[in-house]
Amino acid sequence: MTPTRETFGNIPLSSQLAFYALAAASMAVFAWGVYRRWKLWRLGTSINARDLITGSLAAVWQKIRGGAKRVAVDAGAQKRVFGHGIGTFAHVSMYVGFMALFVGTVLLEADNVLSHIHHALKFHEGAYYVAYEFTLDVLGLLFLLGTLFFLGRRLVKPPALGHRATDWYVLLGFLAIGVTGYIVEALRILWQQPTGIGAHCSPVGLWLAGVLHLDVAAARSSHFLVWWIHSFLVFGFIASIPFTRLFHFVAGPMHIFLAKNVLGAMPPVTMEEVEATGRVGPADIRHFSQQQLLSLDACMECGRCEEVCPAFATAKPLSPKRVVQDLKGAMEKTAAALAAGKEADVPPLHGTVIAPETLWSCTACSACVNTCPVRIDQLTFILTLRRHLVAEGALSGTAATALRRMQSNSNPWGLPAAERTNWTDALTPKS
Amino acid sequence: MSTPADLPAAPTVKENPSFEILYWVGCAASYDRRAQRIARAMVRLLRHAGVNFAILGKEEKCTGDSARRLGDEFLFQELATANIETLNKYNVKRIVAHCPHCVNALLKDYAQFGGHYEVVHHTQLLAELISAGKLPAVAGASAPAAAGAVTYHDPCYLARVNGIHEAPREVLNTAIGGQSLCEMKRNRANTSCCGAGGGRMWMEEDPKQRVSTQRAGEALATGAKTVATGCPFCLTMMSDGVAANGGEARVLDIAELLVERLGLNPPAAPANNAPATS
Ligand code: SF4
Ligand code: SF4
Repeated sequence: MTPTRETFGNIPLSSQLAFYALAAASMAVFAWGVYRRWKLWRLGTSINARDLITGSLAAVWQKIRGGAKRVAVDAGAQKRVFGHGIGTFAHVSMYVGFMALFVGTVLLEADNVLSHIHHALKFHEGAYYVAYEFTLDVLGLLFLLGTLFFLGRRLVKPPALGHRATDWYVLLGFLAIGVTGYIVEALRILWQQPTGIGAHCSPVGLWLAGVLHLDVAAARSSHFLVWWIHSFLVFGFIASIPFTRLFHFVAGPMHIFLAKNVLGAMPPVTMEEVEATGRVGPADIRHFSQQQLLSLDACMECGRCEEVCPAFATAKPLSPKRVVQDLKGAMEKTAAALAAGKEADVPPLHGTVIAPETLWSCTACSACVNTCPVRIDQLTFILTLRRHLVAEGALSGTAATALRRMQSNSNPWGLPAAERTNWTDALTPKS
Repeated sequence: MSTPADLPAAPTVKENPSFEILYWVGCAASYDRRAQRIARAMVRLLRHAGVNFAILGKEEKCTGDSARRLGDEFLFQELATANIETLNKYNVKRIVAHCPHCVNALLKDYAQFGGHYEVVHHTQLLAELISAGKLPAVAGASAPAAAGAVTYHDPCYLARVNGIHEAPREVLNTAIGGQSLCEMKRNRANTSCCGAGGGRMWMEEDPKQRVSTQRAGEALATGAKTVATGCPFCLTMMSDGVAANGGEARVLDIAELLVERLGLNPPAAPANNAPATS
């Protein structure tokens, strides 16, 4: 017999229909959640995202290939996650396990749909089936391993790592999804009683089946029950993506696609812009670009930027992670104020959201930008915010003096141009 | 073609209109007594290697890096426009600067305002000259440069921001003649800041909170007796940091170390340790 299994084996039609209804509902909640965040990003200045998809096919490809490559390398191959010891290892194993299970589920559904169209289109059998079952069975372990590591790290709570109550829910949910998945498999093996390679291609499931040791009837009824629990967990997980840290699945790759990050470059401001807007530098959240606002949602508070920040390390009032999170809070508050029609409640960024001392503490070293796994540009936020303070005359002390000297003498020392070549005198000692 | 011999040691673009490379001196080396020694070292090396160069002299203005990063965009644009005009007037194609902030500004900031030049850091030019055999080690050069272990502090605007970290090491290896470099844990693209970028060079700071103290501590922990840098800001910060740690190490620019190695320092080199502050 060719090794295979029925897709909805042991699941009556009524349950199958309920399953699809729930699937649709969870995806609707997901879409609504994404839409809510997307509306927040729309508060920013336009990045003309539509331009990306206009023109000939070749022109579109030209415009998106840089972004597509970044997504493939930074997110797909997890390049920017690397370099963080065991945390990297755990993230990558969780990611690989998760992606395998995700792609596996999509393939399973594709097979289901195709086999309904014509039974000859069914591909979930034979050697493919064996490879499929084995891969998913083993990679599921990676997923669980990563989840366990992150659960452990939540207990230890490294200082740079952000933490929200929903993180427990997410991680415990993952754990439950992984474990119930294996139990469903074990129970299926127990009632289906596959023989030969068909049984051995899921080693973890087979082992668990041995441990559970149920007769066929008991296995059938528990299989039905656990299958539903597993399904509920998965749908709950899909629906909660936009409302938890898991949103980085969506915002992370989107931002990586849009963000180029040339270190050491800053966006210019023109006099025309200043005349048109009546201000220099951002004063409220709407003065940032849509891409910058999206980046705020891509932050998962991993704390890597804070760990490398020399200002933070020397106890100055600056953490690049905090800056990103505070701006994110301002984005949410601004949207709420505008939705309520209360323009007056839009929080001013300076002073209220971010203290001037925070902005002045930055050395512009770019370490944060260089390390962020989702290419958030914390430095551009900080440096453009400084522009507003300078325009308002809020910089004082020695730095303000240096600027005045640069204005009057074209150098921060404030010495006359005539003395610029004094250093050359010592090259030819006078006799 | 080398700089004509009848000209001053560091000729201006007016004095040597047929220059091939413009040496961008920067404000620090123009006015800060300590940093001036980097510029003199560079001139000695350029002349020794027979490079045909010129400086802008009085016509050079601050690149505006600090102004831009402090948030004074229009002051920066004023300085940039003036400098671009000057550079174009003298038809400058290739620039060498020993300040990574100048390199970054000339390369990335100026390109936004129509100034396009080939800009290299002095360590890149020196590495080029060394590999072309134009800076042969003088046989029996005076005392070997940099007695004791040497470490190198990567400036962020050089190593991380512009990816230049091997050229400085190549030059250093020549300068310290086969001694191996003691690397700090944070090096190359992962280097730590000295604390002076983003306009913080011009801000006062509680000594306990200084980035430079922390970074210099890291440098001293390697056991180094010489801390090499490739940035005049880093030079100031690391010197202060070494002092704040009660350390003994010398802090020198790579060009200065190379000059020592090649024995190009004049016998009575002006030894002025106090950096000018105002
Ligand atoms: S800004 Fe980037 S590096 Fe910093 S915490 Fe957020 S995701 Fe992590
Ligand atoms: S650029 Fe500023 S915020 Fe970012 S790591 Fe450096 S000092 Fe910290």
